[in-house]
Amino acid sequence: MDRKCLLVIGAGILIRLVLFTAFPSLPTILAQRVEISTPVTSYKRLQEGIYLFTHGVSPYDGGVFHQAPLLLSLFSILPPSTIVTNLLYVLADVFSAISLIQIASSGVPTVTPHHVSPRKANTWPPWAIAAAFLFNPFTIATCIARPTIVFTNTIILHAVAAAVNGRRGPAFVSMAMASYLSLYPVLLLPPLLFLTYDSLKANSKPSIQAFSAVTMIILSVVLMIYFKLSHLITGSWEFVASTYGVHLLLPDLTPNVGLWWYFFIEMFDSFRAFFLCLFQLHLLIYVPSVCLRLRKQPLFALITLVGISSIFKSYPAIGDTGLYLSLLMLYNHTFPLMRYTFFLAAAILYATFLGPAFYYLWVYAGSGNANFFYAITLVWSIFNALIVADAVYAVLREEHETERPELIGKDVVQI
Amino acid sequence: MALRVPVNLRKNLSVVLYAFQGLSIVAVIVGLASLLLLPLDEYSRRTYISENALLPGQVHAYFGGSEQNIVRAFRREVDLLGNSTSDVVAERMAEIFRSAGLKVGKQRYSYKAAGGEYTGENVYAVLHAPRGDATEAIVLCAPWRNIDHLLNEGGVALTLALSRYFKRWSLWSKDIIFLISSDARAGPQAWVDAYHDLHGENIQSLSVKSGAIQGVVVVDYPGAYHRFESLHIIYDGINGQLPNLDLINTAVQISRDQMGLRTDLQEMWNHDDSYRHRLRTMLRGMVNQALGHSTGPHSSFIPYHIDAITLAAHGNGWHDEGSLGRTVESLFRSLNNLLEHFHQSFFFYLLMAPKRFVSIGTYLPSAMLLAVGLTLTAIRLWVDPRSRSGEEKVENAEKSEKSEKDEKAKEDDKKPVEVVAIDSGPKRELFLPMSIVIGVHFCGVIPFAVFNSIDYKSMASVFYIFIATSVILPTLISILITLTASPHRLLPAFHLSRCFSLLFLGMFLSTLATLNFSLSFLIGLFSLPLTFARTTPKSIPLALVNSILLQLTSPFAALFAVAGYWGLGVEDILKEASFGWWVWGMWTPVVVWCVWWPAWVVGRISVDSSFVMAVTGKSS
Repeated sequence: MDRKCLLVIGAGILIRLVLFTAFPSLPTILAQRVEISTPVTSYKRLQEGIYLFTHGVSPYDGGVFHQAPLLLSLFSILPPSTIVTNLLYVLADVFSAISLIQIASSGVPTVTPHHVSPRKANTWPPWAIAAAFLFNPFTIATCIARPTIVFTNTIILHAVAAAVNGRRGPAFVSMAMASYLSLYPVLLLPPLLFLTYDSLKANSKPSIQAFSAVTMIILSVVLMIYFKLSHLITGSWEFVASTYGVHLLLPDLTPNVGLWWYFFIEMFDSFRAFFLCLFQLHLLIYVPSVCLRLRKQPLFALITLVGISSIFKSYPAIGDTGLYLSLLMLYNHTFPLMRYTFFLAAAILYATFLGPAFYYLWVYAGSGNANFFYAITLVWSIFNALIVADAVYAVLREEHETERPELIGKDVVQI
Repeated sequence: MALRVPVNLRKNLSVVLYAFQGLSIVAVIVGLASLLLLPLDEYSRRTYISENALLPGQVHAYFGGSEQNIVRAFRREVDLLGNSTSDVVAERMAEIFRSAGLKVGKQRYSYKAAGGEYTGENVYAVLHAPRGDATEAIVLCAPWRNIDHLLNEGGVALTLALSRYFKRWSLWSKDIIFLISSDARAGPQAWVDAYHDLHGENIQSLSVKSGAIQGVVVVDYPGAYHRFESLHIIYDGINGQLPNLDLINTAVQISRDQMGLRTDLQEMWNHDDSYRHRLRTMLRGMVNQALGHSTGPHSSFIPYHIDAITLAAHGNGWHDEGSLGRTVESLFRSLNNLLEHFHQSFFFYLLMAPKRFVSIGTYLPSAMLLAVGLTLTAIRLWVDPRSRSGEEKVENAEKSEKSEKDEKAKEDDKKPVEVVAIDSGPKRELFLPMSIVIGVHFCGVIPFAVFNSIDYKSMASVFYIFIATSVILPTLISILITLTASPHRLLPAFHLSRCFSLLFLGMFLSTLATLNFSLSFLIGLFSLPLTFARTTPKSIPLALVNSILLQLTSPFAALFAVAGYWGLGVEDILKEASFGWWVWGMWTPVVVWCVWWPAWVVGRISVDSSFVMAVTGKSS
C-alpha cells in the first residue's frame, strides 16, 4: 500500500466519523430507510435481538430478529456504547477497502492464466478503486445506517482478496462465514473455487477435481463448526428457521429495493410455494452458466454473481449494489467497451432520488400508494440488471477481441 | 486507431447531436405550451364528488335565528378582549368553552426564527361524540388574529357559538375539536405538532386529545359586524401539498348550491370563467404552491395528511354570520358522514375555477418535459466529441473541432505517448468537472445555513453581500481553472461540468415535480438559459448575451420578482423563508440554495470562462 492508498483510507475514515459525530440523528434516520435496512440486516432488529439474548430469552422469539447467532455474541462482547459500534462499522469498511486494494494490486482483474487484457495499462491504480468504494454514497449510507450487511460485504471482499493470492484456507473460511451470515454468498462459492485454483502457483497445482474435493471438505467442516457454535450460543436449532428460513421463505414483506415484496403481497397463497421455489431457482441457474461462460476470468464471474444476487435476492438493499459497483470498478479497463455508461449512471441516479420521494408520497404524504415505490424499485432493478449485462458484454467483447484481433471495432450482435 | 463502440452512433454523431438538441427544444416548447392549454375546456375537467358518503348539502342546516344573537354576543366579548395578551384571551375563551360543557385544554408555544420570537397560547375544546368512540375527530379552527394580523372577531365568535350549538346535537359520530389559535401561522403548527407528539421543547404538550383528525375547517371572518359578499376558499398547504379535492368540492357545493354563496379561489374576486381568469387562477395557485409557504392556519395540518381548508369571508355584501355558520354546519355534517379518511379524489390537482380542475395526469407532463429537456441536453453534451480531451483527432467530429484538435496534437507532441496494445480513443477527463459540480453543490449549504441563522435586521445587508459574492465567485473559479488547467482540457472540462450540472438539475426537478409540481416547473422555467449558455471563447458578444440572460434568471432575480409581486422587501421574503424553515419545516429554501443556485453558478462558470479564456488567449 502506498501513500495515496493510506490517504484515501484516511479520508474515508474521516468522512464516516464526521457523519457519525456531526449528525448524531443521522444513523437512526438512515437505519429506518427501507432502502438500506432490510428485515435480515437491520440494526434496530439486531439491538432487539441483543436485548433478548442478554436477558436470557431466545432472541428469535417474537419473530423480529432474523440474523445469525454469531453476530449476537460479537455484539454482546462489545461494550454497549454507540461509539464502539460505530467504530466497528468504520473498521469493517476500512478492511473492505484494504481487501479491494489487495485485489487490485494482485493484477487478477487484467491478467489470469487464460486471459490477458490488452487494456491492462489503462486500469485504475488501487487507490482509485479504494476511493470508489469508500466514497460511494451507497457504501457511506450503508455504513452510517449500520446494517449487518456491512460485515457480510467485508467478509466477501476478504475472501476474494485471499483467493486472488491463492490462499485457499482463508478464502473459504471467510466465504463460509459470509454464507453463514446472509445465505446468498453461497452462490459465490463456485467462482471463488475457480479463482483460487487459477491463482495457485503453476508448479504445485493439483487437478481441479482433487482441489475442489478438498475445498468442499474444508468448507463443510468450517460450516459445521459455525453451526455448532451457533447452537452452543443460542442453545437450540431455532436460529436455522429464523435466519435462513426467512431468506428462503420470505415471511416478512417489508418493502425494500428488491422485486420480491410486492410480488408476494399480491400473490394468492396457493401459488406462494411455487413462486418461492421459482424465484430461488432463478438465482441459482445463473451460477453454472456464468461460471462456465466466464471461466477465463473467474473474478469477473464472481462479480457478476454479486451483481445478480444484489438484484434478485429476497431482501436486497443498496449496500449490495454498493458492493457490486465497487467490485465492478476493478474492471474499469473494460468500461470503454460498455455501451450505455452515462445513460445507466444517469438512470441509477434518477432511481436513487425518485425512490425516497415516492416512498415519502406513499407512506408520509399519503397521496401516493405502494405502486409508486414498487415502480421505482422496478426501474432500479432494471437498470442494475442492464449494468450487469453491459459489463458482461464489455468483458466478453474484450475476450472476443483478444481471440480475434481482426474484429476490433466491428459491429457485433449480442444474442 | 481508436476503437469505436457503438459504431452506428459514432458514425452519425452530428445527426444524433442535432436530434438531441432538437428534442430538448421541442420538449421545452411542448412543456410550456401544454401548460397554457390546460385552462381550455378540452383539457380541464369539471369537479365532481368522488366520495359518495360525503352527501354534501343533503341535510338542512338549522344554524340561525336566535343563534345569531349568541354569535353577536360573543362578537362583543371578542371585541372587548381585542388587545389583551394571549393568556388573558386564552383564559376567557377557556371559560366560555367550559360553560358550554366541553373539555378544555390550553397550550403555550414559543418559536424562534430570524432573530424574532413568536409566542402565544392556543386554547381548544373537545366535544366528545355522542355516537362515536373517540377514534376520529374533526377540527373547527379560528385564529385569534388572521394571516393579515386582523382580529378575527366573526370567526372566533362563530366558533364559540357553534361549540354550544353542536353540543346540542346527538348525531355526531366523530369528536369535534374547537381550536382558537393565537395566530394564523405559528399557533396551528404548534398545536398540530403537539397533537402528534412531534413538538419542540418550547411548545407545551396537549392535556386533552381525541382521535385521528379527519378534516379541518378554518373560519376567517375579521372585522366588526360587517356582512360579506363571497367565501374565499384557501387550500394551499406547506411545501405545496394540497388537501383532497373532495373537501374543496364539498365546500364549494355547499356554499354555492345550498347557501347561495359565491366562492372565490386564489383571490380572484371577479372570476368570469373565461380563459384568462382560469389561467390566472391556476398561475396564482402555482405561485403559492411553489413558494410552499403557509397561506392560512389550515396549511400546517396538511403535512400530517389531514385535509384542511380555510373559509375566509370577503367583501361587502348581504351574507351574515348565519350563512357562514350554516355553511360550516353543513360541511361538518358531511365530514361527519365520512366512513374513512379522504382518499377517493385527487391529491394532486390545479384548480382554475371553483368548479374546474386539471389532475396530475394532465399537468405533470409539462414539468416533466422541462426536466427531460435538461436531461436530454446533458446527454447531448456527453456524446458531443467536445467532451473528450484527447490528443487524437476524432474522425467524424465537426470541422472546427478538427482544427482545434490538430493544434492540440502539435502541442502535445513533446509528451511521450503511452504505448498500449489497444487505445480506447480520446478520453473524457471526469475528475475536474465532477469536482466543480460537486463542490459547488456543497457550497449551496452555506447560503442556506447563513440565511436561516441570521437576524432580520442584518438580512438585507447580508443578502446584498451574498449577491456580490455570487456574481464574483463564478468568475474567480473560472479564472482559477483557466490559469491552472492545461489548455486542451479546458473546453471539455467546462463542457462536462455543464453536462453533470444539467443532469443533476434535471434529476432533482423531475423528483421535485412529483412532490411539488409548481416549484419544479418554475425553477425549470428559470433554468432554461442554462441549456444553451455555454463556453464561447470565440464569440464574446454571445457570451455577453448569455451572461446577461443568466443574471436575469438567477435565483436572486426570482427573489426580487417574488418580493415585487407582493410589494415587500427582499428581507421580508428571507425572513419568511427562515420562519418557514424553523416553524413549518418548509423545504423551498433548501431547493433554492442547494439545487438551483449551484446549477446557476456552474452555468455562470461556463459562460464566464469564455471571457477569461479570450483574455488569457487559451481559447485555441
